[in-house]
Amino acid sequence: MSRAWLLGLGLLVGCANEHGDPRTYDNNDLELAVGNAARSGCSCRYVMELTEAECRAWVRASPDVARVSFDDAKRRVESTAFISWTAAARFVDARRGCVLE
Amino acid sequence: MPRPSPVQGASAFALGLSLLSAQVAAAQPCPTRASWPTTDWPVQLVDRATKAEALDALEAYAFTLQGKDSERLGFRTDGLVIIKRGVIVYERYARGYDVTKKHLSWSVAKSLTSALVGVAVKEGVLSLSDSICQHLPEYEGSPRCDITVKDAITFGTGLSWLEVYENQSYQVSPTIAMLYGVARADNLAHILSHKAIAAPGARWQYSTADAQLASAVAKRALAKKYDRDAFWTLLFDRIGLSALVIEEDAKGTPQGGSSMYATPRDFAKFGFLFLNDGCWNGERLLPEGWVAASTTPSDVYVATLPAEPRPSGYAWWLNRPLPAKGRPAPWPDVPEDAYAASGHWGQRIVVVPSEDVVMVRFGDDRKGAIDANTLIKLSLAVAR
Repeated sequence: MSRAWLLGLGLLVGCANEHGDPRTYDNNDLELAVGNAARSGCSCRYVMELTEAECRAWVRASPDVARVSFDDAKRRVESTAFISWTAAARFVDARRGCVLE
Repeated sequence: MPRPSPVQGASAFALGLSLLSAQVAAAQPCPTRASWPTTDWPVQLVDRATKAEALDALEAYAFTLQGKDSERLGFRTDGLVIIKRGVIVYERYARGYDVTKKHLSWSVAKSLTSALVGVAVKEGVLSLSDSICQHLPEYEGSPRCDITVKDAITFGTGLSWLEVYENQSYQVSPTIAMLYGVARADNLAHILSHKAIAAPGARWQYSTADAQLASAVAKRALAKKYDRDAFWTLLFDRIGLSALVIEEDAKGTPQGGSSMYATPRDFAKFGFLFLNDGCWNGERLLPEGWVAASTTPSDVYVATLPAEPRPSGYAWWLNRPLPAKGRPAPWPDVPEDAYAASGHWGQRIVVVPSEDVVMVRFGDDRKGAIDANTLIKLSLAVAR
């Protein structure tokens, strides 16, 4: 049994003890990476109005696999990882900020 | 509709009595001020020469960067504003931010959300003892209908929710799933799909789900009487916080536990509202007694006494000791009447009524964790 597997099992048992429910969610890291990069990138650029370079730094997460592209005309951000994983977020309005599509 | 448990029933009865008492007693007058920062704050910065020691200490603590910015080490303050007696006495920005830039609130949003529930109470469209299902009719008949509005603003829903973020495996974080993953399209369904691990009102557990639920309930309740911008027209526009952004999921459920944006100056207006007992320029915007209830340790917190020694009221963090429980004030160098809205990566709105101070600090502490006691202590030294 690998050490990582044991650590994962330990975490789940810990969760079960404290929170009663060793629930996991059907996300994989790549899906979350592109979701985070698209949503956070959109909010950073079009709500916080930071520069593109600042927003690329803002969305960087671990694993650092998501690439983002900003479409300032449409106020929309796309994120991809390893070609097949994609997500996009768009600016809705000045009160509701960005939403993941 | 399930009836409240005896504990909830007693709590609702007590709340009803206190509201009745408040109505019978003379109305509490609103505080008066020389000016209100609806448009903007007056500025009279402290003199650098006479406050050099206090300023140096604060700036060394809050603004000294460690390593390269890309390494994300230590404390990374983006903005720090201190208001004393209604006037900005200190203000500094860094790392690309300035007075015009909005900042992500993270969980500071929870304190704004609880105030929005207060607005809905004042408008008569909900009461704290209501079942959440009275305002979310699509969940009528759900076992989660035992949860009341008060449970949702006191972290007392009893829902199983592991509040972890990027510091643990992403697959066990319901919050990350809700914001970026499988549950992003319908946050409410995700929240209410979680099992109960305690009866509502019986167990305190810090949870973005609870605050998100409260914001959904407040929005729906106000929608019975007002349009979709009711949060702004009834509260934020009136205190000059019109530029506040509240993000939503794809179904329009506000993410009131995590995702609001405003400038530090504007977030300070929200602190100023609480400093002034929920009043603004002579008008009471929050119910009488709401600020006091928000800043008193909740029954569910005191009953649970979690390991995390941060008493909370209506989603505000309080510097209150609990002597009967052997708990000291969590910020020992700060007046005990201080309270704060607090968020991930070091976001803070701090109110210190005894010193007539509001302090706002926004940052990006990805790997560090700025210490609230030290930050507030150093800020107060500048303001005094």
